[in-house]
Amino acid sequence: MIDVSGLWHYDGRTAIRHKVDLRTGDDGFSLIGDNVDMGPYRWSDLVRRDNSPDGPVYGLKDKAGWRICFAGGVPDAIRDQLPGPARYGRWVDQLGFWRASVMFLAVSAVFALAVFKAPDWLAPNIPFAWEKQMGDAMVGDFGGRFCNGPGGQAALDALVRKIDQGKPAVRVHVANIGMVNAVALPGGNIVLFRGLLQEAKSPDEIAGVLGHEIGHVRKRHVVQALMRQAGLSVLLGGFGGNGGGYLNAMLAASYSREAESAADDYAIRQLKSARISPDDTAAFFARMSAQEAKLGEAAAALGYVSSHPLSQSRERAFRQSKQAGTAYAPVIDADQWAALSDICHNDPKVPAEDSLFF
Amino acid sequence: MGIGTQDETAFSFDGDWRELAPILFTNLMLSIVTLGFYRFWGITRERRYLWSKTRFIDDRLEWTGTGKELFLGFLLVIAILFVPLFLLQFVAQALILRGHTAFAGVLFLSLYLVFFYVAGLAIFRGLRYRLSRTHWHGIRGGSDDPGFGYGWSYTWKTIVGSFVLGLLIPWSMTSLWSERWNRMSFGPHNFESGPEWGGLMRRFLLCYLAPVVALIVAIAIVVAGAASGGSSGGMAGGALAVVLVLGSIYIVLPIMALAYYAAFFREMIGTLRLSTLNFHFSARTKDWLVLMLGNIGLYVLVFALALAVASMLGVATLPKDPQALAHPPIATLAIIGLIVAIPLGLVGGFVRYRNWHFFIRHLEAGGEIDLASLTQSSTPEPRQGEGLLDALDMGGF
Repeated sequence: MIDVSGLWHYDGRTAIRHKVDLRTGDDGFSLIGDNVDMGPYRWSDLVRRDNSPDGPVYGLKDKAGWRICFAGGVPDAIRDQLPGPARYGRWVDQLGFWRASVMFLAVSAVFALAVFKAPDWLAPNIPFAWEKQMGDAMVGDFGGRFCNGPGGQAALDALVRKIDQGKPAVRVHVANIGMVNAVALPGGNIVLFRGLLQEAKSPDEIAGVLGHEIGHVRKRHVVQALMRQAGLSVLLGGFGGNGGGYLNAMLAASYSREAESAADDYAIRQLKSARISPDDTAAFFARMSAQEAKLGEAAAALGYVSSHPLSQSRERAFRQSKQAGTAYAPVIDADQWAALSDICHNDPKVPAEDSLFF
Repeated sequence: MGIGTQDETAFSFDGDWRELAPILFTNLMLSIVTLGFYRFWGITRERRYLWSKTRFIDDRLEWTGTGKELFLGFLLVIAILFVPLFLLQFVAQALILRGHTAFAGVLFLSLYLVFFYVAGLAIFRGLRYRLSRTHWHGIRGGSDDPGFGYGWSYTWKTIVGSFVLGLLIPWSMTSLWSERWNRMSFGPHNFESGPEWGGLMRRFLLCYLAPVVALIVAIAIVVAGAASGGSSGGMAGGALAVVLVLGSIYIVLPIMALAYYAAFFREMIGTLRLSTLNFHFSARTKDWLVLMLGNIGLYVLVFALALAVASMLGVATLPKDPQALAHPPIATLAIIGLIVAIPLGLVGGFVRYRNWHFFIRHLEAGGEIDLASLTQSSTPEPRQGEGLLDALDMGGF
């Protein structure tokens, strides 16, 4: 039995500070002082709290506000009974700072690798029927904005069959929206915007752009992107605030650039096997590239943040894919092209809108 | 125990940033290797330090919150707020694509209202959590109110506050402050808050009117310059006008806002009571200005350093070929990310230290405390921390 004197004590019931002595007993101790005789308490129930300038402070498990402070120092005889300080958190305190750091880093690396790579492996194995259901739920009838001028859809379908015979068939529509763009949505739904048709100089150009979007569908990029986006949100969730958001956008953009290049390769292969000249698609990118050139030096730096490769390098890829000695034919004939170009113009029912939202 | 005598303040802070630095550096290291998830434990270590260096009368404050609580709060918010929001975003997209823009609009509007409600709930619960984890003499604070009603008050008072061109903002801020603090307690005692908002109007109007006055003066200068000195006078007048307008927006307006905020804080804390204790907050506009300039200076300094390091590293890691530049390797992106994340992570801790020091330095209390009647709080202890506040990126109080 050892007496330690000079402790102060809060009992957690009132704010009064008691002066107490500590008396050790069988695997525990009691507190003795004026009007106080408490315990016995077990050593193993003690929890180390932050130091007071008077000395080390201990709390008691499951007893809020209960504190003792060894204001007169801790005698060596009981030092071993007292719990060590809590610094970083339980796991790190048990492992040690450096060992914990290395282990966390290893786990994080495996986790990050899974998030980056898993969509590549998983996406091709997701049944297309699931993707189609999700796509139909998301796209619907596009708010009745799909154009259906006479002969237009038939011409478009004929064009699509020339460059893609894959199963299940993709569904391509023209939406009456002024943007110069095309998108691949989940479930093999591809939407061309009217602006792109107006901008196009030939059906071959449309074939090149569509080949690119079909490439996204066949390579399951849409599901991949959805999965990657979800994974990155979890991965970077820990950072919180805007920092995580920016990093997320940057990483996502870098992956979508990879997908864009793969879709271009797909388009080039399809054009080649369908004997459609890549020249017009290259010319389309040349026109886009002229617009980018106006941005000047910024264009190269833009390559970092934009989700598409720069038009100039895309133009080069298409141009180089041309083979001398091949007999190229237009993808659809002049009558079909006329019907397709006017698919929205000839459809008085469809509302014309320049933006997707209003 | 009588406190608040002439020569001794009830609150004092004796922390040292050199003691905090090792805490912040190890927090940063562990946060990086855990992809940011350590930050909940990091914030806890930071608060334990700040609280333990804060003296009230004869003893320190003690922070008893844990990283696990904050982490659970974070998970809860993800589950009940962000997952539904994520799914609703698809619903909204589907509605828009089907042409039901009106429905989508209603959906967005209701989401906006929900956001207000959640923000109010977050402020209330954040304050409640912090009080419940703050111990002094073994006694803690808290609230019996879970804050669901406060969420509604916050929603409608904020909306009403923006009526009449925002002139009722001082009213909404004041009334929300007192509603919140009147529901908080420490030990057995309830906080009582009875601030007046009328006295704040003069400063609020000043900060409201500064840009308008500047604009009118600027127009007058241009007109006068053009009338008196022909084209050159007009040019000089125009330049002066631009300087005046920009100056009023970027310099005068923030200072006016700070002046309003200083008065607001003095009124709010000066009218706060806890049983026989009354509080006082002494920071004036110039104190706030020094605090803010110091904080901004810290960010600028560290970002300048980070940029210098980035440009040295960047030259080495960026690929030379412009074609490869369009596909930067992940390693480059990671380095850029770290150069942004490291200063942000570190400066945040020092800024919170400065803010806390500022707050305690200017906080005073007077009156009597009867230690025997300061008994343990009977309020429920929240099981999880301020996840909502954290998710919405909002401050405390």
